[in-house]
Amino acid sequence: MVNILRPIDMMQTSTLEVEFSRLSRRRIFILSGLLAALVLSLWLDILAGPSGLSAGQIVDGLISPQSLELRHKIILWDVRLPDALIAIVVGAALGLSGIETQTVLDNPLASPFTLGVSSAAVLGASVAIVLLPTIPFVPPAFILPVLALIGALGSSCLILMVVRLSGGARETVILFGIALVFLCNAIASGFHLIADADALQQVVFWTIGNLTKAGWLEVAIVTCCFLVIFPFSLKHVWLLTLLRGGEAHARSTGINVSRLRTWVIIRASILAAFAVCFVGTIGFVGLVGPHIARLLLGEDHRMLVPGAVLCSALILSIASGLSKTLIPGVIIPVGILTAIVGVPLFLSLLVQRRRRPS
Amino acid sequence: MRLSVKNLSAFYGKKKILHDISFPDVRGGMIVGLLGPNASGKSTLMKCLSGEKKSKGDVVFDGENLHVVGGKRWSEKVATMPQTAPAPTALTPTELMWSTARALALPYSNRELSWKIERIFDDLGLSDFQLDALHTLSGGKRQLIGLALAFIREPELLLLDEPTSALDLHWRMIVLDLVKNKVQQSGSVSIAALHDLDLAARYCDLLALMENGKVIASGTPKEVLTRDNLARVYHVKTEIDLSKHGYPRVDVIGAI
Ligand SMILES: Nc1ncnc2c1ncn2[C@@H]1O[C@H](COP(=O)(O)OP(=O)(O)OP(=O)(O)O)[C@@H](O)[C@H]1O
Ligand SMILES: [Mg+2]
Repeated sequence: MVNILRPIDMMQTSTLEVEFSRLSRRRIFILSGLLAALVLSLWLDILAGPSGLSAGQIVDGLISPQSLELRHKIILWDVRLPDALIAIVVGAALGLSGIETQTVLDNPLASPFTLGVSSAAVLGASVAIVLLPTIPFVPPAFILPVLALIGALGSSCLILMVVRLSGGARETVILFGIALVFLCNAIASGFHLIADADALQQVVFWTIGNLTKAGWLEVAIVTCCFLVIFPFSLKHVWLLTLLRGGEAHARSTGINVSRLRTWVIIRASILAAFAVCFVGTIGFVGLVGPHIARLLLGEDHRMLVPGAVLCSALILSIASGLSKTLIPGVIIPVGILTAIVGVPLFLSLLVQRRRRPS
Repeated sequence: MRLSVKNLSAFYGKKKILHDISFPDVRGGMIVGLLGPNASGKSTLMKCLSGEKKSKGDVVFDGENLHVVGGKRWSEKVATMPQTAPAPTALTPTELMWSTARALALPYSNRELSWKIERIFDDLGLSDFQLDALHTLSGGKRQLIGLALAFIREPELLLLDEPTSALDLHWRMIVLDLVKNKVQQSGSVSIAALHDLDLAARYCDLLALMENGKVIASGTPKEVLTRDNLARVYHVKTEIDLSKHGYPRVDVIGAI
């Protein structure tokens, strides 16, 4: 017979508390490791490049920009730093929106990209490149990102409408997202047909995704967007973890799952829209970063959400460094490298996980 | 504490699923068994009572009417164990318990919470699995975790949707013993949907027998578990006698 009136001594630590906090400490350790790796990768990314700036010069130049000769100052402050930083903030943004979409849609393949955000951005970019429109009050250099952003946000609005109309049914949302991808691709292809060779090449280049066009303003915009949204994600970490226990469980606790889903999809698609509008569709990061974090850190979203952010930022930062160093004198578009960096990392973790007895 | 359910109706779309459900008032310390064949509306009734699903009629518990106080206030007192066990993900039982407690802002310190979780896991034989991924656990163990998730909220109204359907003989008894103890000690109320007539007769103080969204009989197990009722609702031929301990025992002879 089970005795439920056993007295408990609240002052002592339970074995569960001991084991659970040991696990948490290990995960915090892994998170710190990821952060350290990210800092290292940022450093290497700044270091990488053809202009022969030495590590010492870079340190000096970072501390007092005036100490560098003008040419080097421009390379460091106007090229290397913004490129390296945009890799990290875009990676972080895509990782955050990826992990949240995966969790609320309970689908390992879901990401703002499968919801059509990036295809709509490509559509917007294609319009900008092929039709060369002018928009009042928008400087010509910003027409492309602005139209990409409008496309991406427009698709987010459509998705949101569907979320509302379907009462937050997961399958409907995912299917509609895929349909939207096809629709945007089809319309964009129409523009590509009428484009001349030059414009077509620009579209392809943009679609692959590259970081070299970004400056401080872009870094600042994406960073602000991330910093505004991240606290909301942190506020929801318990709810998101709970949701991993299944929709039936979540609903039975009185939580409004549909509302949670709507909120998360809103913020994830806004974040993804801002992330892709400047650098193009670097899609793979937002899918694989969260999965790597999952393999390393488990499903507790207190750890998993920051972990996904760090992993995705790390992958994009490494890819950014490699894009400048793999072929001397050539900058490979980073979108090509993310998959080439991410897939082996992902596979090795998957295989390890298989081998390790649980 | 007292639960009263009068004229409760619910719809899925335009289809009326529950037709003016009423049953006798339930006092604190009681377990009510909901019986009825598949699709008779047991789970739907559970969802209405928990406030998860909209309904019409009067559900009054502890002086408060569900439709007056609203879902948020209601869910502070009520916990449901849904018919589906927690999803088989890589989440561990401890993480699920912990996040549930924190997401619902249960007022425990970390230390208290870990004691409570540890004790519930102890009672339900889950201690050895507390840090294993849910997808590595057996179906029955996952069902027990579903129960643990309802227990951690220490509800005044505990709704259990087929809590023992995946459990072996031993754990069926343990689980219902536990529920009975909790209910009797705290004066709370539990409603359990059950398919096992023997368990229903043994543990429930009141039974409600459902068919097609209506309660067609309610009362003590002796009043409800009759040959006619069972033949009508389940389409089985039965013989009913009294066990040594005084509760009715149903001997199913065959389907009609
Ligand atoms: N989400 C839904 N949408 C439409 N109809 C539903 C839904 N859920 C249940 N129903 C219908 O409501 C009726 C009652 O179903 P319910 O799940 O309450 O039965 P139950 O008594 O719990 O059955 P079981 O013993 O199989 O669990 C059934 O006719 C079912 O088809
Ligand atoms: Mg049911």
